[in-house]
Amino acid sequence: MFTQFGATADTLSKASSLVFRIGTDAHLYDDPEDVSIAPLLDSKFDSEKCEALKRLLALIAQGLDVSNFFPQVVKNVASQSLEVKKLVYLYLLHYAEKRPNEALLSINCFQKDLGDPNPLVRAWALRAMAGIRLHAIASLVLVAVTKCARDPSVYVRKCAANALPKLHDLHLEEHTSAIEEIVGILLNDNSPGVVGAAAAAFTSICPNNFSLIGRNYRNLCHILPDVEEWGQIVLIRILLCYVIAKHGLVKESIMSSLHCTDGSHSEKDDSDVNFAFGDTADMSSSYNSEISNVISRSYIEGLDEYLTRSSYTNQLSSDLSDAQFTSGKSNEDVKILLQCTSPLLWSHNSAVVLAAAGVHWIMAPRDDVKKIVKPLLFSLRSSRASKYVVLCNILVFVKAMPYLFLPYYEDFFISSSDSYQTRALKLEILSSIVTDSSIPSVFKEFQDYIRDPDRRFAADTVAAIGLCAQRLPKMANTCIEGLLALTRQDSLTTDVGPENGEASVLIQAIISIKSIIEQDPLSHEKVIIQLIRSLDSIKVPASRAMIIWMVGEYSSLGDIIPKMLTTVLKYLAWSFRSEALETKLQILNTAIKVLLSAKSEDLWTFKRLFSYLLELAECDMNYDVRDRARFLKKLLSCNFGSEGLEEETNSLTTNKDLHVLLEHLFMKQTKLTSSGPITDRFYLPGSLSQIVLHAAPGYEPLPKPCSLLYDDLGRFSNVVQGTTMLGEKASYSDSSGTHDSNAYGSLDEESASNYISQQSITGSSDSGGSDDSASEGDDNPVPLIQMSDVGNAGNNQNGDSQSDYADMGELMSKRALESWLDEQPDSSKLSTSKQSPVRRSSARISIGNIGHRVKPKSHTLLDPTNGNGLKVYYSFSPEVSMISPLLVCLEVFFENCSSEAMSEVTLADEEFNKALGSADQASITAESSLSSHNDVPTLVPMEEIVSLEPGQTTKRILQVRFHHHLLPLKLALHYNGKKLPVKLRPDIGYFVKPLRMDMQAFIDKESRLPGMFEYTRSCTFTDHILELNKDKVAANVDDATGLCLRFSSEILSNSITCLITITIEGKCSEPLSVSIKINCEETVFGLNLLNRIVNFLVEPSPNNL
Amino acid sequence: MLQCIFLLTDSGEVMLEKQLTGHRVDRSICDWFWDHVLSQGDSFKLMPVIASPTHYLFQIIREGITFLACTQVEMAPLMGIEFLCRVADVLTEYLGGLNEDLIKDNFVIVYELLDEMIDNGFPLTTEPNILREMIAPPNIVSKMLSVVTGNTNNMSETLPGATASCVPWRTTDVKYANNEVYVDLVEEMDATINRDGVLVKCEIYGEVQVNALLSGLPDLTLSFANPSILDDVRFHPCVRFRPWEANQILSFVPPDGQFKLMSYRVKKLKSTPIYVKPQLTSSAGICRINVMVGIRNDPGKIIDSITLQFQLPPCVLSADLSSNHGTVDILTNKTCTWSIGRIPKDKAPALTGTMVLEAGLDCLNVFPTFQLGFRIMGIALSGLQIDKLDLRVVPNRLYKGFRALTRAGEYQVRS
Repeated sequence: MFTQFGATADTLSKASSLVFRIGTDAHLYDDPEDVSIAPLLDSKFDSEKCEALKRLLALIAQGLDVSNFFPQVVKNVASQSLEVKKLVYLYLLHYAEKRPNEALLSINCFQKDLGDPNPLVRAWALRAMAGIRLHAIASLVLVAVTKCARDPSVYVRKCAANALPKLHDLHLEEHTSAIEEIVGILLNDNSPGVVGAAAAAFTSICPNNFSLIGRNYRNLCHILPDVEEWGQIVLIRILLCYVIAKHGLVKESIMSSLHCTDGSHSEKDDSDVNFAFGDTADMSSSYNSEISNVISRSYIEGLDEYLTRSSYTNQLSSDLSDAQFTSGKSNEDVKILLQCTSPLLWSHNSAVVLAAAGVHWIMAPRDDVKKIVKPLLFSLRSSRASKYVVLCNILVFVKAMPYLFLPYYEDFFISSSDSYQTRALKLEILSSIVTDSSIPSVFKEFQDYIRDPDRRFAADTVAAIGLCAQRLPKMANTCIEGLLALTRQDSLTTDVGPENGEASVLIQAIISIKSIIEQDPLSHEKVIIQLIRSLDSIKVPASRAMIIWMVGEYSSLGDIIPKMLTTVLKYLAWSFRSEALETKLQILNTAIKVLLSAKSEDLWTFKRLFSYLLELAECDMNYDVRDRARFLKKLLSCNFGSEGLEEETNSLTTNKDLHVLLEHLFMKQTKLTSSGPITDRFYLPGSLSQIVLHAAPGYEPLPKPCSLLYDDLGRFSNVVQGTTMLGEKASYSDSSGTHDSNAYGSLDEESASNYISQQSITGSSDSGGSDDSASEGDDNPVPLIQMSDVGNAGNNQNGDSQSDYADMGELMSKRALESWLDEQPDSSKLSTSKQSPVRRSSARISIGNIGHRVKPKSHTLLDPTNGNGLKVYYSFSPEVSMISPLLVCLEVFFENCSSEAMSEVTLADEEFNKALGSADQASITAESSLSSHNDVPTLVPMEEIVSLEPGQTTKRILQVRFHHHLLPLKLALHYNGKKLPVKLRPDIGYFVKPLRMDMQAFIDKESRLPGMFEYTRSCTFTDHILELNKDKVAANVDDATGLCLRFSSEILSNSITCLITITIEGKCSEPLSVSIKINCEETVFGLNLLNRIVNFLVEPSPNNL
Repeated sequence: MLQCIFLLTDSGEVMLEKQLTGHRVDRSICDWFWDHVLSQGDSFKLMPVIASPTHYLFQIIREGITFLACTQVEMAPLMGIEFLCRVADVLTEYLGGLNEDLIKDNFVIVYELLDEMIDNGFPLTTEPNILREMIAPPNIVSKMLSVVTGNTNNMSETLPGATASCVPWRTTDVKYANNEVYVDLVEEMDATINRDGVLVKCEIYGEVQVNALLSGLPDLTLSFANPSILDDVRFHPCVRFRPWEANQILSFVPPDGQFKLMSYRVKKLKSTPIYVKPQLTSSAGICRINVMVGIRNDPGKIIDSITLQFQLPPCVLSADLSSNHGTVDILTNKTCTWSIGRIPKDKAPALTGTMVLEAGLDCLNVFPTFQLGFRIMGIALSGLQIDKLDLRVVPNRLYKGFRALTRAGEYQVRS
């Protein structure tokens, strides 16, 4: 209608914006490619280069791939103009990972810039250099970071701290200790800005290396208020974890409910809360001690513990001893932490406020927690988005300690600008903090909310009224009156349609009334009668069904209802035909309930009515109604005898059992739904997991109280010295040992039951068996795979795997896969006639034990040239340690290549010995180390080799606990009285053990680990082609597409299930494209395992058979 | 740590993407996001934290622009949200507003700012003062200069000195011929009046805004005459905590120029300056509306810019509204705005009219909430008074100015 006007307005605004756009980069964004970019990049004028780069940036912003300009752009990195530099960096960082080789060209410039007198140039060079993330230059970057960490400019040091996580992301083991050392240096910096960035680096690199914190805990606390706001958020969390790990939890805090539940009541009562509890105090305190227990428990326990814990009760004080608690009043570190975080509650950044509030929530004595309330409420005013997050956290606080927020109920009143989510949270909070004194005003508010145009919100309000009435029984009558008024008023307008919002309000109102009545049916008799009376006017089927249910449920309640029953039932019978499905079913149920509980005088009427209803129902259009009718009829005909419905009394006695059955079927719903155990899981305040209500990857609970050993602290400096020395050693043992990098040998996977849906081969079980026996002797590949039909496979397969299991040979090599691929043509020959038509039926393949075929790869621990002729090499053994699941078994071979005998050869844990000192070193045995450390030792002490003759090789089994599945373990090799540091590298494949699981369980488990817990990578697999060519087999079945191998395994250390699915596509004769999928809750482990598998598959096999 | 930041227009177009870490986030996440916005409507758009199948998303919306940040690992969600808010604030300040065109026109500056503000997913420099020195904001002079010379350099060649100082919010060498400092009390009144006309809740959310144009490194103290009325406070990082804890005195070294020194809250006020009396009566599908607005307690200063806004309930088909003072507008989304301006002396402004309800609906069952807007210059309704403002070293020429302003915040009247 106003189009012309609109058009003029549009052009006007365009014209005006044109004026403003002069001199901006508007034309570059709108038309980045209107001139050719390449010549501009080669221009000698900075301004032209700038323009070209801006055009490229515009294309990046618009989502186009302009990486083809990379070589030309990289050249410009040498430009003197800072603006060109900045733009080049922006471009470079965007594409460096795609074009690693060209990116290397820029390194020289970065190195030159690192020596520039302008700190800005140095900082940018460092940022860009670390940002391109190339393994090849990692050591250069490390050197640069080390240098910049001591730079005079604060800004450069800050950038150095930020560069550390980038370096750490490359997962270079040999740099780990050096990186951690720099983190330590930067944490000790004088400038608050640097400390903040260093704290962030600490969190992402080594969040559990508390020795770094312990050295300057006090300093960090004092500097905390001056740190930048973002650093504060991170640093607060670090300090909290440190204090808990060092001193344990605070006795007076909320976490103490873990420790003694009885004490909590008395403490709570004398806490000086300036608010009249009324008689709800007892109720709320007992109520919240249970929840606060669950909350504090879930703060501490990790996911695995949460899953294994079957029920939350009974084991309260068992796992946390008194020693793990400290007193907040006497412990200086705790006091300082609380002192330095309390002014942060005044920060203008809500994130800081919430982080500080979290510390007080967990650590402060219960009486002092109330100081977090006002700041939290104030931060509700900051922005819509943070309001939601803060409310989510307040909700948890409210659940555990409702009394904290009792006086502030007005802050949770809904404002018309609140989003629906915010309103829902506020309602939930309101209904849990309402008390007898505040209910009148809250109820008044609720009545306003019901008239809100957002009907979903109105329905939620009605539900909240129900909750309030259940919490405060005194108010039940008022609430019910209000709700009844609502049903009356709404019922006038409910003809509009079922999808209407009004219907949901009405249904919710009836649900709320129902739940209130359930608490005390007797006193609400009149309400039930009113509801029944209103049946005529209420049209929404769901609410009708609920009222009808109440008729049946309370049919014998009080005096009046039984008298009404005949009329009501007649009315229902009359209206039956026009009812909706759910109402019809409910009418039938109610009728039979009435019938069962009927007194003799009315029985006859009821029976007549009932049989009438049955007749109607049997002719109904709907299956369900007809089924229900027949079912009831059958039951009743047994019950009341086949003579008809007249001779009730004697048949009732004869069929007593059936009567009981009927009563059980229909009358047992009166049981009050007791509040079940709290199954919610809570996460640390302020965490992402608490908002999304699942453990986000990387979520860490609080550390175990007092898990930090005191001698950890003093030891650090020694270790640092040790590692630098080790680092040098490692670098050249690297080049020799792991370079021909199949060194990792076999990956252990489990293969108890693998299913494919590609082929079905009948009769191959016996042929497979014969093959088995025939080929065992000679060099032919042992049939690794037995294919059999699902039908007859059961026993065969079971027997197979059972025996495998017994001799621990169950651990399968990944080789099984490639061998299977080679075998495929072979076995298909046996049943050429059958294979193609039956594609869809699933066949079962069991992969035989090929342990003897694949030789475990050995790794060099010590080179004879380094070790004066002593050669030590090791290989992973698939055995599982008997001592602890955390240990990995290794076979270590000691070979004397020299001409003299060696004596006293042994391997020991380096750090362990250092910690204990040399004096009592001799007395260490496996038992004492186990008990003293309360933990699994790094290394189960090995039996010493007394002497090793020249040329002799001795084997020892070593059980080792790796600290991390990627990081090498530092050990000390003692021989001839000398000591040599060595590094033991873990193979991630040996950190899993097979887990038996059937197909369904596998799929179920898989579906429960979606999204974040699922990682996929693809690669091509070519290894089999060589073998295929060698054998010259006529490949009948060429297409391997759809072949899917599933391996289920479990991580040794924490028994988290890890599922591996390998899907193959392509033809057997060509390289296959393989996609590997891992489902695992341990994100990092899963990703690393995935990379390992992919690398393993991609690498050509060194010893093709 | 944040992995990527996207800027989306209100039609779902991705204007900018900035990858922050090596874990590249594909643009398809924005498609996923926008699909859900379209299918689930505004309630999805208002979710600040969203768990998508591959990433966790944080979003804020400013002036129709959606700022979307992605992460895959646990991090403090408020940190992400507050950071996005800070980005939005800085951009608004730089570009003199925030809209699609402004961002597209200045995309290079936006990129440079983002690159400086966040490094590897962790905030680097967010202090507006330092940013302004590192990256020059676009202004008319620089625009004209660039048109003339074709040179558009806006990067500073040197590192701002403030990055090294212990007061990182203040640039190091500031010189003014006239030293001036202005302190403004800007208050917003939040009030809720329920259906019965009862004042349920009335509180003030106030800010102390300072515009400090002072040479050197000034050290200021500001005290209030009645600090006890403050219910809770939040401070700019420059405020020292100790003096406040001890004597409730604000002691600080101010940033250069305009900044928000503190914000405060005063609760449980007893009265509001303006009354709004809505009356809705309905019969036979027609609803009559009558709203009266007038001054309840004269604050002694002129109340102006009075507006009354409300959303017509969805069941209203058409409305015919008129007023005896000011103008009434009804937008297509059924938002109704009555601009009153100042209240005349001779008559009480009133809005009257009729609304036709949906067929089958006899009387109105849901009721609108009225949002009142107003502005009062020269008074802080909370009653907070500044006692004095001192400088430790008083420069030769110093001018101190104080102002106060109260406007309506979330001032709502239910009917």
